[in-house]
Amino acid sequence: MSNSFNFSSFSRQSSKGVLVIYINIIYNVIKFTWFLLFLIIKDFSKVSARIGVNYIYLGLVLILLFLLVRSYLIYKNFQFKIEDEHFILKQGILKKTNTAIPFHRIQNINFKQNIVQQLIGVFEVSIETAGSSKTEIGIKALSFAKATALKEIISKSSKFEKELITDTESKPFVKIRFSELFKVSLTENHLQNLFLFLALVIGFFQQINQVIDGFGEVLSLDGFIAENKNIVSGGILFVFILLILLILIAFLSSFVRVFIVHFNLTASLKEDAFEINQGLFTKKSIVLKKQKVQNITISTNPLKRLIGISFITFKQAVSGKLNQKKDKLIRIVGCKASQVEIVKKSLFDTTELENKEKKFSENYYKRRIFIITFLILFILYAIAYQIINYVIVFYSMIIVFPVVVFLILKKVKKRYYKISDSMLLVGRGLLETHLTYLEIFKVQNIKMKQNIFQEGSDVADLILQTASGKIKIPCICFEDAIKIYNHTLYKVETSKKSWM
Amino acid sequence: MFENEPVSDFPNITKIIFKSISKKFLKIILLNVSFLFCIILIGLILVDYFNLFEEFGDYFNLSYGTFIVVFSLVILLNFLAFKKRKYAIREKDISYKSGIFFKKLTTVPFSRVQHIEIDEKPISRLFGLASLSIYTAGDSSDDLVIKGVTKEIALQIKEYISTKINE
Repeated sequence: MSNSFNFSSFSRQSSKGVLVIYINIIYNVIKFTWFLLFLIIKDFSKVSARIGVNYIYLGLVLILLFLLVRSYLIYKNFQFKIEDEHFILKQGILKKTNTAIPFHRIQNINFKQNIVQQLIGVFEVSIETAGSSKTEIGIKALSFAKATALKEIISKSSKFEKELITDTESKPFVKIRFSELFKVSLTENHLQNLFLFLALVIGFFQQINQVIDGFGEVLSLDGFIAENKNIVSGGILFVFILLILLILIAFLSSFVRVFIVHFNLTASLKEDAFEINQGLFTKKSIVLKKQKVQNITISTNPLKRLIGISFITFKQAVSGKLNQKKDKLIRIVGCKASQVEIVKKSLFDTTELENKEKKFSENYYKRRIFIITFLILFILYAIAYQIINYVIVFYSMIIVFPVVVFLILKKVKKRYYKISDSMLLVGRGLLETHLTYLEIFKVQNIKMKQNIFQEGSDVADLILQTASGKIKIPCICFEDAIKIYNHTLYKVETSKKSWM
Repeated sequence: MFENEPVSDFPNITKIIFKSISKKFLKIILLNVSFLFCIILIGLILVDYFNLFEEFGDYFNLSYGTFIVVFSLVILLNFLAFKKRKYAIREKDISYKSGIFFKKLTTVPFSRVQHIEIDEKPISRLFGLASLSIYTAGDSSDDLVIKGVTKEIALQIKEYISTKINE
């Protein structure tokens, strides 16, 4: 199909890009000033009486014009070309930036479409590298043809090997339909989602509170809270309603989250890559090179296990602060066991691993968790008793203690590892179960830690650092730890394969 | 005929001989610790002088006692911990271990090294010492750092690793 496009001289994005940039800027402005806008709109009559309606509209028009000019300039100054196996980008209105990325450092080329881009039919192309976060490049608007042409050029000339786009016809091995997605969201970790949601709400209220404080209008909200307190003391009915409401919110937030991110999920297998498409508002198309996958984690929870699904998380190489790059975790939700097998098989050979026996953490691990947990519980109870001052507090132990013991035993039971010549499997989890598969030669560096108590019990912690984060094997027999340490180093140092 | 026998004896990390870091680094550690405690001592004396905590009264002398005990303990611990800071270089990797109560051993294979840094802090420079940081890919906050080697050795190690990487 290519290459009617010539990338050897500087070219700009599709001219529709101005619109995409414009809307993006407006969105950002609204995001930062929404509360101010809200206040103005709320008391529009008062404000307009003081300033005059015409001036407000004039101001608005001026601002919008300014933003339009700005986005045009951004568009005008955003130029890229390909030269010498490098992707070169010039950008910036006043502060000019020149970026050059060698092809072999490019990790992924992703296509994305948010709702505006879908409407006007352009693609956002993001070029990911494993380097610092600054070198991540997003080209906001390219026509499909140009985007694919660009991808093809970069893919071909780099050691990206065989082309990915050529066999777009290959059949997806995972296709999550609406009903399946429904099941997935039904079995999500609702508690976690609830907390996420509550954190969002609390943050929201704090923001409002701060601004209102600034305006000296604390009264209304305080009144609201005081009212609520009255109702709380008012009766169990309220607590009951609140509980149901919370459960509803938890479910809803799970649904919304899952549907927005994973809508229409398809994953297909190419010769040396996975292609994953998903998203409701923002359609994302990710091409994941097998070679660049650092490790995979297969997770499930009791509910999901009941209907036989689990999700797979792929981890790629990242740099710098890990938690800043959550979106680099690529996830396929709602996989059946057979599909999980396909993914595993296509990435590495696990047969040898399956035959090995599970090795659990030593008893020291259990002891440590028990001691720490009960110390914390003890302190919490002491504080609770100080505050409430009734012996009734201690009755709750009848429920709390067995639950805690049950959870700890679960956690300990799920902590195990299996090691074969080339692969490592680490299991962990509390209610959920996570199984992490790692090819040993992809380890970056290895640590062994042993505190004085562990030394007495002859156990040690192992920490394998990969390019996508740490994998811990806590409290295993010292002798085994040394064996794994030596084996890992041997594997890394004799391997000729590239880890990325 | 081609034979590829399984390796039964991996190179063993426990068998290598670790080298100590430069003795001068102990002086720097002690200097740093003394400096910190000097500040605390000055604070204590000021509090005592202006009688900020009247209710403690005579008991205040106790705090000087505690100060001396803590100070000597910290010095002792630092002294012992210093002896545990050791590094070793093999043909294909570099290791560093440290800690008395919390022992830690890190090994970085040369083939995974991303870059190497040599830092000289002002006080260290007076003693001709440097710290050598070796970075690998991924979460770079927690890689291998050897503090308190002479600058000469640091440069040698860097040179050695660089040639090994390019092999």
